[in-house]
Amino acid sequence: MRFPLYVLAVSGGALVQCTVVPMVGIGGVVPDVPIVLVVLLALRYGAEAGCVTGFALGLAQDALAGGPLGLHALSRALIGFAVGDLPRWILVARPVVPVALAIVATVGDGLVRFALLQLFHYPAPLGELLARVIVPQAGYNGVLAAVALVWPAVRPVPRA
Amino acid sequence: MLDLLVRYRKYSTLALVVCAGLALLIRPYDRAGDAQWLSEALASLTAPVQLGLARVHRGAVGLWSEYLDWKHLRTELARLRAETAALRLRQVRQEELETENARLRTLARLRERLPEGSLGAEVMAREWNGFTRGLTIDRGRADGIERLAPVLVTGGVVGRVAGLRQRSAVVQVLTDPASSIGGLVVRTRAQGLVEGVAGGRLRLKLAASEDGLRLGDLVVTSGIGELFPKGLPLGRVIRTYPPTGLFRTAELDPAVDLSAVEEVLVLPRGTNTDLAAAFPEP
Repeated sequence: MRFPLYVLAVSGGALVQCTVVPMVGIGGVVPDVPIVLVVLLALRYGAEAGCVTGFALGLAQDALAGGPLGLHALSRALIGFAVGDLPRWILVARPVVPVALAIVATVGDGLVRFALLQLFHYPAPLGELLARVIVPQAGYNGVLAAVALVWPAVRPVPRA
Repeated sequence: MLDLLVRYRKYSTLALVVCAGLALLIRPYDRAGDAQWLSEALASLTAPVQLGLARVHRGAVGLWSEYLDWKHLRTELARLRAETAALRLRQVRQEELETENARLRTLARLRERLPEGSLGAEVMAREWNGFTRGLTIDRGRADGIERLAPVLVTGGVVGRVAGLRQRSAVVQVLTDPASSIGGLVVRTRAQGLVEGVAGGRLRLKLAASEDGLRLGDLVVTSGIGELFPKGLPLGRVIRTYPPTGLFRTAELDPAVDLSAVEEVLVLPRGTNTDLAAAFPEP
């Protein structure tokens, strides 16, 4: 039953990100729907699901957006794994946790991507990137996650 | 080995995915084209969906902007309606002011022809039942008005001051049944009494021996009794009656539309000048 959900998340998330999302930017800041999806799926279904979904979503994004293939795939896979592993240590059922994690994951994803982009001699300084892109996007993603949590199907469930 | 992978499936998956990602990222640039098939396959699969989504989005944006336009138009319409109503109101006020201005100008011209001491006043209230007919004006004892002072407008006599207060005065109008003024038929110079009749009309009473009256004859104040100066228009004959006993009577149409009077002039009491020249016959 989970497989169709993953497929839907991967295909829908990547498509929405490169078609609709650019139109809903506020002051030049656009949300990152795939990372929010990865966080929510990872919290609900675990590290493995988060890792694979993150990789697939990132790969689809890379392919659709035309950037370095594997960039998003790798960063999202790592984030999906890390977030999916968290319920072992923290209580994720409280709504504030997924929202906070969406914010932290966005920053983490940004930092990982920045690190990976150093392979390609990416020119922008990290401080500027953080201030103008990553942190505002993290805030937007937090709001997005809070809104998404209204839908019970994406709420994290406590795991033993 | 396989057991190990299954046992640590989570970490195995992570390692596999990281390796795949790194391999994709760090593959030699000149071999980048090798992976192009993935992009192209994905693009060919997703292009129609992307196009559809873009169209849906464009449609939604169009619909939204149409809704916004419609909402804006509604607001604009409400604003314009309010503005139109305000303008209409302003126009009515403007017309009213123009009318008032014209009346006051006429009154001012009349005042120039009247003796010094004439005072302009505004009608504040009316007592207009069938038994008594009076106007309350905004000038009183404090303005130097005296009891029985004549009150007139550009058309002729309105009445006389019957009651005085500090800042207002009550004017008994001509048509009040208790009003009686000495009148003179301009054409025949016959003198008589002009009395108010219940219902808002005027009656001229003449001695039966006087010459006959004609419809349209102008009747002015005679000046007898010294309350009203001579020559102020009172009304015109609209109906005559055969003589009965010592008197002959006629019904007069008041020279002034007393129900529409809004501003008046109050003459100083005891004005004896002939004011016929101030009221040229139309």
